[in-house]
Amino acid sequence: MFTLVIGGAASGKSEYAEGLVLLSPHRPRYYIATMEPFDEEGRRRVEKHRRMRAAKEFETVECYTNLSSVRLSARGTVLLECIGNLAANELYSPSGAGTVEGALSAIAGGVDTLLAQCEDLVAVGNEVFTGGSDYAAGTEDYLRLMAGVNRALAQKADRVCEVVCGLPRYYKGAVE
Amino acid sequence: MIFITGPLYSGKKEYARRLLGCSREELKDRAVWDAQDQAKDCADLNNLADELARYEVVIATEVGGGVVPVDPAERAAREAAGRLSVLLAQRAQRVVRVFCGLPMELK
Repeated sequence: MFTLVIGGAASGKSEYAEGLVLLSPHRPRYYIATMEPFDEEGRRRVEKHRRMRAAKEFETVECYTNLSSVRLSARGTVLLECIGNLAANELYSPSGAGTVEGALSAIAGGVDTLLAQCEDLVAVGNEVFTGGSDYAAGTEDYLRLMAGVNRALAQKADRVCEVVCGLPRYYKGAVE
Repeated sequence: MIFITGPLYSGKKEYARRLLGCSREELKDRAVWDAQDQAKDCADLNNLADELARYEVVIATEVGGGVVPVDPAERAAREAAGRLSVLLAQRAQRVVRVFCGLPMELK
């Protein structure tokens, strides 16, 4: 079962997505961490999240670019968070694809690789598309990539929801 | 008239083409998009909504999300865009919000 959870900043999307993972009977639980820590603050943040998730028995797998390279040791449940980081890394990091098309296929293809290796996947995406379109050219690329990834994943997903104020609205499928 | 709204690049035009069963070229005659841009500096939104409602399909991108802009003109444009969408939805037989390429019937 593949669920795509999308929401704005501080919408409660992460908590909701984590809840879906905890509901899945398939173990182990993997957390694909996509935020590359660049400084001390970033490292502390990552460490805090790692401890929080360890308590919930998540195994952390770091992946900043090239999602297809991830190999999971057992078929369990995967939490992929978040697509916004992955998209930025693929677009701007030296090890990333570098172009919108390249990044789109790297992420969509990477999700296929994950789906082939797990029972349940919950991916978290970002709603950044209703604040107007008056942005610099570089931002436009990022938005187009994010929108492309969201649409590609929504097509693959069994369930798609948008989380608003912690509440899910399902556009496809629904929780039993 | 069918009113289609949704976030930026969410697949609104593609959905409109599917709905009407027409090509990209034909869509130009049967539908109007970026209606939100016409709301800016419009003196009479009701009248604009009436004009737009003559098309088979009217498409507007949602622009009211995100942080409220500091610039008063941008704030006013966002307000006008939002109000135009409400007026269009009132005139529409059907309202659909497209999200990640997936349509959700609102009316």
